[in-house]
Amino acid sequence: MKLQLTVNGTTTEATVEPRTHLADVLRDQLDLTGTHLGCEHGVCGACTLLLDGAPARSCITLAVACDGAAVTTIEGLDEDEIAAELRTAFAREHALQCGYCTPGMIMSARDLVLRLDRPDEQAIRVGLSGNLCRCTGYVGIVRAVRAVIEARRQRGIAAVVGAGRTTLGPVGSQPGAIATATSSALPPVTEMKLSRGVALGTLDPPTAVPAKSFDASFTVNAAPEHVFALFGNVETLAACFPGATITAMPAPDHIEGEIRVAIGPLSAVFRGSARIDRNAADLSGRLIGTGRDQRSRTSTSGQISWRMLPIDQGRATRVALTIGYSLSGPLAQIARDGLVRDLASRITTTFAQNCDRHLNGTTSSAETPEPQRLNALALLLDVARQRLTGLARRMRGP
Amino acid sequence: MKAASFAYGRPNSMSDALALLADADGEIRIMAGGQSLGPMLNLRLVQPPRIVDIAGLAELRSVERDGEALVIGACVTHADIEDGRIPDVTQGVLPRIARGIAYRAVRNRGTIGGSLGHADPAADWVTTLAALGASVQLTSSAGRRDLAVTEFIQGALQTALRPGELVTAIRLPSLSPAARFGYAKACRKPGEFAHAMAAVLIEPDTARSRIVIGAIDTTPIVIDDSSLFGGAITEFRQSFDRDLADRLLMQAGVTDPAARHIHVSVLARAIAEAAP
Repeated sequence: MKLQLTVNGTTTEATVEPRTHLADVLRDQLDLTGTHLGCEHGVCGACTLLLDGAPARSCITLAVACDGAAVTTIEGLDEDEIAAELRTAFAREHALQCGYCTPGMIMSARDLVLRLDRPDEQAIRVGLSGNLCRCTGYVGIVRAVRAVIEARRQRGIAAVVGAGRTTLGPVGSQPGAIATATSSALPPVTEMKLSRGVALGTLDPPTAVPAKSFDASFTVNAAPEHVFALFGNVETLAACFPGATITAMPAPDHIEGEIRVAIGPLSAVFRGSARIDRNAADLSGRLIGTGRDQRSRTSTSGQISWRMLPIDQGRATRVALTIGYSLSGPLAQIARDGLVRDLASRITTTFAQNCDRHLNGTTSSAETPEPQRLNALALLLDVARQRLTGLARRMRGP
Repeated sequence: MKAASFAYGRPNSMSDALALLADADGEIRIMAGGQSLGPMLNLRLVQPPRIVDIAGLAELRSVERDGEALVIGACVTHADIEDGRIPDVTQGVLPRIARGIAYRAVRNRGTIGGSLGHADPAADWVTTLAALGASVQLTSSAGRRDLAVTEFIQGALQTALRPGELVTAIRLPSLSPAARFGYAKACRKPGEFAHAMAAVLIEPDTARSRIVIGAIDTTPIVIDDSSLFGGAITEFRQSFDRDLADRLLMQAGVTDPAARHIHVSVLARAIAEAAP
């Protein structure tokens, strides 16, 4: 896609993929390498620059989203009065050592100088909290910024709320000025095709103890034997289970298939195999499975055990579940129990409703109900925020 | 740390945007300021085939009065609210909350509608707007519906948004001058995601209170009666029932006692601030 930017006062055109973030365009195409990239997910602040005059993260801002915008990088602040004062103060106060954070730090500091009237040290620290420095311990930086602000206020230069911005909406996203950026063809789907040669069916589901485990239960308005029988009919079971599809059944107790999960914007397709053991004597059973999501390269193994307990003199059943799971791969680094529980409980609810509907015949086509694409199931996934937080924490050290 | 490929559309008008969403045959992600979706794209936690960028839509970058209420366009940013570029009907509550969201560079692009649509349980707006009784305006090519924030948020990153729908505005009732509001959150560092969060609204003139406990891994806990204060809405500070709060958190799946302790302490701070 073509886009037009005014970079440091010069109108520039660039051709970029939609996925390219603004910092990459500046650095790789325009050779403006003063904008640094640290974490590339909006935490460290090294990539901070000015979009339409206001600080923004260039690593989490798509270049195409900035079509028509004015971009000011650290290179564009050579003649800027506040930046010059900050440079002097930074040098005097030893506010930098390796210098990696400094371009972003100057951007944020300049914004504080413009906006904060008479900040105390705490206000400056909070204002700079989105820019990480690993060398200095911040003392010199805070002192430098404070000195510049105090000097300017003494010279009678007042702070301006919002640095004088008057328009509403995200900076950099220009209403109207978007003639060149309207669409692009859908890129070829790059999802990896599952190689049937991998022979997932031959993988024996592991029987190791799952790393995480919790209990859940639901009630169905049917006798325990009926519910137990339903749990024995694999096709029906899969049809009731949100997001599950069976692709093959090499043996009556052996399933190959996939489970689609989507938690908010996250989605994954875990493909794999499972085995079902049943014990008619005590109306219990378990499903042991293993699967892998190609896109996130995350593997899971899990075990769901059930027991049918009669309630209401055997007219209804409480299905007691124990759900255990292990995750390995990128998504596993950040697994958090609470989210998994929340999603599992939502899945359980839908699953229970589907079972009930099936057993009590409230659907007309009970034999082949459409597998529901429920927006859930995190037996397998965990979520971005935790990952971001985790990464941020790791970046900052213990 | 680079996003995977996707197709990108930047509609020129609301009708174009809704048409794009209605025609989507498959996964499509709506992006406003991109301050939550951007990191997830870079980490490849999400790899949507296409993205619709609504940040430039003038219709969403506006506010209007509706009687006593304020209707805030979905693409109004946290910084817009912080700086007072939109009117305030909440006695200063909204600007104060906005000021505490992430960092200024994020607030300059992050939007109130995007934050609600993303539905991160630790998001300040999810908890605050639930406490203030705000509702969300959802628009699709078929029409419009309004949902209370508490109904809209259905879980961690889960909302009631249907395919083809767009969060277009937030409707915020005005807060009476007598109302008292308290807010607290626990972050390891300013701007970091909160580990605990609570908003407390007390309306002495109508003898009502609403307490919202956020930053848990599911929908926020909303307590609309005065059970946390032994059934009476006087003497909030003294009669705050910590054990009940602890039990509610336990029921909501917060099994770690240390985490519950932080939540209850944060709630106590919010109550102390709001208590008359």
